[in-house]
Amino acid sequence: MPRYAMAIDLSLCVGCAACAVACKMENEVPPGVYNLWIREREVGTYPDLWVEFRPEQCLHCENPPCVPVCPTGASYQTEEGLVLVDPRKCIACGACIAACPYDARYLHPAGHVSKCTFCAHRIAQGRLPACVETCPTLCRTFGDLDDPESPVSKALKEAGRMDVLRPELGTRPKLFYLNAPSKKGLTREKEVRHD
Amino acid sequence: MTEFYGLPNAGEFWHWTNLLHFILVGLAGGMALLTGLLHLKGHREARRYTLWTLVLIALDLFVLWAESPARFRFTHVWLFLTFHPASPIWWGSWGLALSFVSAGLLYLGKGPGRPLALALLAFSLVALAYPGMALAVNLNRPLWNALMAGLFPLTALVLGLGVAALLKSPWALYPLRVLLGASLLLAFLYPLTLPLEARGHLWEESGVLYGLFLALGLGAFWKEGLAPWAALLAAAGLRALLVAVGQWQGLGL
Repeated sequence: MPRYAMAIDLSLCVGCAACAVACKMENEVPPGVYNLWIREREVGTYPDLWVEFRPEQCLHCENPPCVPVCPTGASYQTEEGLVLVDPRKCIACGACIAACPYDARYLHPAGHVSKCTFCAHRIAQGRLPACVETCPTLCRTFGDLDDPESPVSKALKEAGRMDVLRPELGTRPKLFYLNAPSKKGLTREKEVRHD
Repeated sequence: MTEFYGLPNAGEFWHWTNLLHFILVGLAGGMALLTGLLHLKGHREARRYTLWTLVLIALDLFVLWAESPARFRFTHVWLFLTFHPASPIWWGSWGLALSFVSAGLLYLGKGPGRPLALALLAFSLVALAYPGMALAVNLNRPLWNALMAGLFPLTALVLGLGVAALLKSPWALYPLRVLLGASLLLAFLYPLTLPLEARGHLWEESGVLYGLFLALGLGAFWKEGLAPWAALLAAAGLRALLVAVGQWQGLGL
């Protein structure tokens, strides 16, 4: 069984937001809410000044805090490690939104919670998530963490530096940030490397 | 400076209707516990309290249903068709539903009285405990720390006893003041248990209101006539305020 993960090389991300647009289109995300967004931050002071772009979305944690708090089982984790929401079971109580440390979940106007699915419907067809396929700088890689030949495993192996968000919470995210130009806001955690 | 293309879904996710639920569930749970105790003691006021319990639980369940964006999809049935003991809300749903059933049977005089009263007592404890647990499990939200698991049951009991005092039950005043005192002590110590950043946020967002609710609670020790109202307002205010302001995540992302 594959164990899907994504890596984003921040040294390649130019903040064009093509991934965010592709996600909106592919998943028909309603206005005002987002499966994916770009954090843009000025770092440093002139003349040592640069802009850091960081795409953010559901991190499909290995230990997702949003799943156990769900009272109906609408939030669940697949065998491939995807964290998904079954809208037919969701009562929109907001417990999973409260539990998510990354603000990745939102209330869909249709009356259920929603979020990034790593484009599970595309993966099932053997295709890449829309954001990965769209990225013009190829900063995103996706694949099976347990397959050493998968693009994501290779990217993690070759990266000079790897970070995950809020590792102190023990969620073990499967969205990795590679080669972050600044250390601000990211926490290095080599032990989460799955190689 | 941080800007976004698209926005993280970092806004408030529990609104005033949810805050109302956190107050009503405290009232309902507190009253259910008192009702169970009164039935066990064979108190003459037990039947009147049973009706209050039924009304408050029904009101809380109605608010929950009415505010739910899924109210016409009827997905709530899954609460009772699945087994999710790791979820405080799952426990709360069963606690409230079974409290309602056992209180209903007690009111109608159907079934064995003592076992039903014991059952009501047990289910009401679940209903009392789950809101605080539902907050405390969120390790990512620094304002909802482990103290919530103590403060919410205590304030729920204060709410129940406050209603009892308003119903002119003379036995309610002493435990009301004791439990309110314990609640206020916890609430007073609470900011000291927070990380510095979270304490600053609490102070900036609701420092004045928080202080006001604490002061209001102290009013319950001043005059007997004021005690029920002061206790009710302080307990309800603290519960709503902690839910509202605690949604802040303190994202150091």
